[in-house]
Amino acid sequence: MAQAKGPDNGPMGPDTGPRRTDGAAVRRAFDRREPAVHGIAEQAGRLSEVCRDMAARFQRGGRLFTFGNGASATDASHLAVEFMHPAIVGKRALPAVALGNDSATLSGIGTQEGFAEVFEHQLRAFSTTGDIALGISPDGRCPNVHHAVAAARELGLLTVVLSGGAPGDAPAADHLLVVRSADPLVVKESHMTLYHLLWEMAQVFLERYGTELIA
Amino acid sequence: MSDVPRTSDVPSGVQELYPFLYQRPAEPDAVPAEVARAARDKAAEITALRRAVVAGCAGEIAACAEAMAERFAAGGRLFAFGNGGSSTDAQGLATTFLHPPPSARALPALSLTSDAAVVTALSNDVGFESVFARQLAALGRRGDIAVGLTTSGGSANVVRAFEEAARHGLLTVALAGHDGGRLAGLAVLDHLFVIPSASVHRIQEAQATVCHTLWELTQHALGGSSHTARGDVR
Repeated sequence: MAQAKGPDNGPMGPDTGPRRTDGAAVRRAFDRREPAVHGIAEQAGRLSEVCRDMAARFQRGGRLFTFGNGASATDASHLAVEFMHPAIVGKRALPAVALGNDSATLSGIGTQEGFAEVFEHQLRAFSTTGDIALGISPDGRCPNVHHAVAAARELGLLTVVLSGGAPGDAPAADHLLVVRSADPLVVKESHMTLYHLLWEMAQVFLERYGTELIA
Repeated sequence: MSDVPRTSDVPSGVQELYPFLYQRPAEPDAVPAEVARAARDKAAEITALRRAVVAGCAGEIAACAEAMAERFAAGGRLFAFGNGGSSTDAQGLATTFLHPPPSARALPALSLTSDAAVVTALSNDVGFESVFARQLAALGRRGDIAVGLTTSGGSANVVRAFEEAARHGLLTVALAGHDGGRLAGLAVLDHLFVIPSASVHRIQEAQATVCHTLWELTQHALGGSSHTARGDVR
């Protein structure tokens, strides 16, 4: 197997020589995923804190609102359905809504107020103090995610952000989990692992604490 | 209510994967450390799984990407489908082809779960097992590409979609998990990638890597740039 690259140079990398579509190109592509996954392990302690805080909100009746753009919008939907209808039989269904699913609302807000407002508007209409807002942005720079997270903080929601690239670009939030890669596809895959862990570990907190309130 | 799930409530596969999560007795104070340990274990698990996939499928992934590129070059379009989390992954795949990162070439792709009117109409009037097959029958043409994602390999609507796609001469690309389920015995498939894991989540994460690599190599074969990185952020 080819040696895994340290820093992420993006698909094909700068040093891949002549263009070939063969098994070696596939192996290089897979190798490029590994540093980002190491980064997840390094954030395990923080991940545990996010899950504890999310579980505490769910225990008190909070609901989860997820949002992102493009491929991250599909991740927001994926995360919401994990909570609403767990793939593992016997796990507790928890209330979650992805704010990118309603194209009528998205295009309506986008046309009238601008696309930067599409998630903030929905949060202001739907959410209450005690809920959870979770934004996903592969480079941390999406204006509508920034607006929504800022509004959520103002409204008293727990705010969680999954981003990539440089941490400084992400919106200020209660919890920030950053995938250190400049390749949006590598970031997306590690976001998938992160939100699967968020779901599973939030369930663990809820099960293990039972009726005892999580601080 | 018990502090821990009764072991009888938990599918045996899950307990085998993560036995410590279901051990008694539970001291809530110990949960954060256990959860952090589980996160590290699962990060190691996805890396090991990706290594197993690439060891078994690298050549097939490259061949599949070449076949997809040939279809796109000849005017073919891509249709993606799946259920639940896999439906969102199919949407993610479609939007990556249709609206890729800057500098890559946009390619025609459509997710068959995005239109709630079509999905509910077909499900209500015909049956959920036909929800993708009917759309492929209407929209698909010889030379197009059908990509279906399922973690079990057993989703009836995905199996039917592939049968319909093959009848119409589409290239059929299947992503499954576990042992491949019903898809493993489906002779009409041109390409089948089975992710050898019992974890739905790890399967989906490894499938995403397969999809992204197919996208990257398809771009490469078509001569477009798939450079998506803006530089080193470390």
